[in-house]
Amino acid sequence: MFNSMIRPKKSTIFLLLFVPVIWYIFSVFVPLLAAFFYSFFDWKGGPEKIFIGFDNYVKLIHDPLFWEAALHNIFLVGVCIVGQIGLAFVFVLIIMSRNVHLKGVHRTLVFFPSTISAIAIGFIWSMIYNYRYGLLNWILKIVGRSDLQTVWLNNPKSVLVLVSIPLVWQFIGYYMVILFSAVASIPQELFESAELDGASGVQRAVYIVLPLIKNILVICIMLCVAGNMKVFDHIYQMTNGGPGTASNVLALYGYTVSFRQSDMGYGSAISVGICILSFIIILCTRTAVNAFTKEDNSL
Amino acid sequence: MTKKIKPGHDSKSRVLSVFLNVIMIIFSFTCVFPLIWMFYSSLKQRTAFQLDIISLPAHPTFQNYIQVAQDKDAHIWTALLSSLRTTVTSVFFIVMFGYVIGYILARIKFRGERMLSVLLLLGLLIPIHSLLVPVYVVFNKLGIADTWYTLVLPYVAFGLPIAVFLINGYVKSVPIEFEEAAAIDGYNFTHTMFSIILPICTPILVTVAIIQTFACWNEFSFALVLVNDAAYKTVPLAMTQFTGQFNSNYPKMMAAMLITMAPIVIFYFAFSKKIIQGMVAGAIKG
Repeated sequence: MFNSMIRPKKSTIFLLLFVPVIWYIFSVFVPLLAAFFYSFFDWKGGPEKIFIGFDNYVKLIHDPLFWEAALHNIFLVGVCIVGQIGLAFVFVLIIMSRNVHLKGVHRTLVFFPSTISAIAIGFIWSMIYNYRYGLLNWILKIVGRSDLQTVWLNNPKSVLVLVSIPLVWQFIGYYMVILFSAVASIPQELFESAELDGASGVQRAVYIVLPLIKNILVICIMLCVAGNMKVFDHIYQMTNGGPGTASNVLALYGYTVSFRQSDMGYGSAISVGICILSFIIILCTRTAVNAFTKEDNSL
Repeated sequence: MTKKIKPGHDSKSRVLSVFLNVIMIIFSFTCVFPLIWMFYSSLKQRTAFQLDIISLPAHPTFQNYIQVAQDKDAHIWTALLSSLRTTVTSVFFIVMFGYVIGYILARIKFRGERMLSVLLLLGLLIPIHSLLVPVYVVFNKLGIADTWYTLVLPYVAFGLPIAVFLINGYVKSVPIEFEEAAAIDGYNFTHTMFSIILPICTPILVTVAIIQTFACWNEFSFALVLVNDAAYKTVPLAMTQFTGQFNSNYPKMMAAMLITMAPIVIFYFAFSKKIIQGMVAGAIKG
């Protein structure tokens, strides 16, 4: 901190901070309070607002569509933790191997999908799943299994798995690069001495690499949870939550209620619900991860 | 998975290393193949594409691009322009505001300092898409929806916490002697802050700018609810409409997709190393 000589006047600081802070509060906290406020009203977006107390929240708790969407989110979180971070870890181990060439090229290419817009990703995968002109059905034809061809995104049983694949695919590279930088910072001697002790590749991965990159892994898991609780764009573009509500997610449900059914009051309650639910799930994950890593230490 | 293989001569390890290389090459290839496929398919005529979706075009033509570029309903150029304007404006303010707040939080004690930190931390924790409805309501009430700056307001606010966090950490690592020397030379506070410390912080400011460029360019949900006027629709919004507009003329759809994706794809491949570094640094520290 500064001594008195260079300490600026109070008014200078005030002037510098004024616009950014007001701008920030206006765009984040004013709407947040507004959401709380409107969630107590029966309001279809028109001039008429009727105060109904906690009725919207009671409705929310008994709303099967909300909980279905929440379960879908949790499913996606699970799939993505295993698919994105798990596969990323495996690929990092492969790419770290001395015999794998073109590391820089791999890095550039695998990171690429995570930089393009989710809408473009959704479009690309709609093309892959397309019935008549899709890559997936083309591959099935080539391998002689035309009988398996189907309108992929129309089956309520499998649609959630199918929409999770683009999510996993898009972000493997992102987590790969994060994990790669963590693994690269592990001193080489550790591997060499483990090799001398006769540790196999898998043993080295589990007993040396994993514990040493634990902190980064935790960060990745938290990013993954937060990212999948807010998933919206991909689903909007690919299935719009359908067929029926088979691939509906929380953000999309909130959007549908508020803007398609223009039920702003209930939509606000859903927003608050999503906010609280996300907090709870992030908190649970953090607790679980902490408990798990503690156990790890005692080993 | 095997971690390290001695570059031995026995055939087993050689097979393994070929195997690992092949896996990596296949995976890397799948990451760009859809784009390549879209590109050469967009050079086909509709009928040629429908006959065979995978072969290279026999008679490549830019017809689709010409048609899409001239299609007034597709709004491709307006979308690119509004995305560019929104992104550049937002990133500029995020970097400036992020620097001002980050610097002041790092160097000066003042009343409300804790309060400000808590507000910023909350901004990191709140799932911003839950603000979709209220932001829509507030913006419409105040009549600031559907203008050129509509999206700049939320984008700057949502990008600010992470920017402040990164810049604040960086400023703390800059020795305070710089400011002391500047004070002895007679520089005042704001002058020191902007013309001496700001240049020193360039690396972190570039990182913030990179992260936010992608975030703003790709943002979809707020653009979806806040913008109705075709003149202010951004690229992701225009993209959602291609499917309907070119009713199942897939090569044309792909041409439109690729034109609108081009700026960010070129930007990525031109500066990929710097971009990857920046994004990873942002993710780990955030």
